[in-house]
Amino acid sequence: MTRWVTLALAGCLTLPLAAQSVHGRLAGRIPSDAIPTVDSLIQFAAQEGLPTEPLIQKALEGGAKHVAGPRIVAAVQVSLGQLRDARDLLVRAGDQPPLLASELTTVAWALRRGLPAPVIERVAAALGRPPRAAALHAVADLVAHRFDPDSAAALIVEAVQDGVPRARLLDVSTAALQQVQRGHTRSEALAIVRRQFPNVPAPSKPTRGNFAGARRPATPAP
Amino acid sequence: MNQIDSRIHQVLDGELGSDAVPAELGRAVAQLRAAATLLAAAPSGPAVSLESRVMAEIRRPSLSRARRLMRWLVTPRAIIFRVRPAWSLAFAAVAAALTLFTAGDGAPELAEHEGIAQFVGRFPEAQSVHVVGTFNDWRPGSIALVDQDHDGVWRATVVLPAGTYEYMFVVDGERWVPDHLAERLVADDFGRENSIVIVRPARR
Repeated sequence: MTRWVTLALAGCLTLPLAAQSVHGRLAGRIPSDAIPTVDSLIQFAAQEGLPTEPLIQKALEGGAKHVAGPRIVAAVQVSLGQLRDARDLLVRAGDQPPLLASELTTVAWALRRGLPAPVIERVAAALGRPPRAAALHAVADLVAHRFDPDSAAALIVEAVQDGVPRARLLDVSTAALQQVQRGHTRSEALAIVRRQFPNVPAPSKPTRGNFAGARRPATPAP
Repeated sequence: MNQIDSRIHQVLDGELGSDAVPAELGRAVAQLRAAATLLAAAPSGPAVSLESRVMAEIRRPSLSRARRLMRWLVTPRAIIFRVRPAWSLAFAAVAAALTLFTAGDGAPELAEHEGIAQFVGRFPEAQSVHVVGTFNDWRPGSIALVDQDHDGVWRATVVLPAGTYEYMFVVDGERWVPDHLAERLVADDFGRENSIVIVRPARR
């Protein structure tokens, strides 16, 4: 009980400050007539415990692409809807509020990439604890290459159960795609990769020569 | 050693007149008298001995510490290095090795949570190409791609925190183009598609 009161008080204190900083980030970057509505959508998200950064990024993206204000507002509304769907999905999968912003964003990504909600829910429930980003991206990668969503999800869940580290799950989907490139059918590719668990072909690690001259963006990434 | 004629002594002492000696001796007497006159005209003050100069230096009032330091700093001094050639060569080799191996490749140090994103696009006619996305608040112009070989292939290597990012290329400052080499695309809700890059931690 004390924890929830503390969280509510912290929210009451930080929300006005957050609103100021959001307004500052949007001012001059999106049409001024869209700012109040976008601002209120962002405040709704904050009050519901949803991450606000994806909404801010969507608005900034629309402004950079010189999109009209009403279309920016519509796109931010769609993003807010996806975050709400992600929250509902994670709760159905067994996550307890407060939900992690990173997990909400990950599930919203998966929805945007076209993964069916039941498949996401099944993967989230099977993996149990965060992080699930690599798993959901791996499934989405396979589905984007016309693998059956249920089979793709089953492969990734099985990889985790067989001891493949979560950070290596993208290598699992890459291995399956490579088998298809070698001429195997999709079901054969899944079977070949599955037989190798928990071993997965390692990706090449970047050497210092790979990123000589690399630079960090001037604006801090979220 | 030549003996001086005794008659010269006698003339100089006044015992003989100058006319009483031959002309040759008379010239010698005249030269000696001129030399005596010169010596007599030397400074008449007391001679400055070494001892008196040392004592004068000792008696001079001592300078303040700051002035002594200042004097020490501005006084020219000779510094002599005595170096064996073998040591000089060894020192030069170590300095060259340190320079080559510590600052040579221009690659930044990556934090544990950071990774590398490489952006490549083929735009043969482009004058400029930038990458814009959620990693730079969709701010055009902040990350430029470079076509070093002038072959129409533009590249940029960027250090980013590990994560998932949406992005597009901006060609010549106005044309928004998705990355056709990206394996992941997603609708941008503005009628186009963004590319997706997943940055994995480099230290894994």
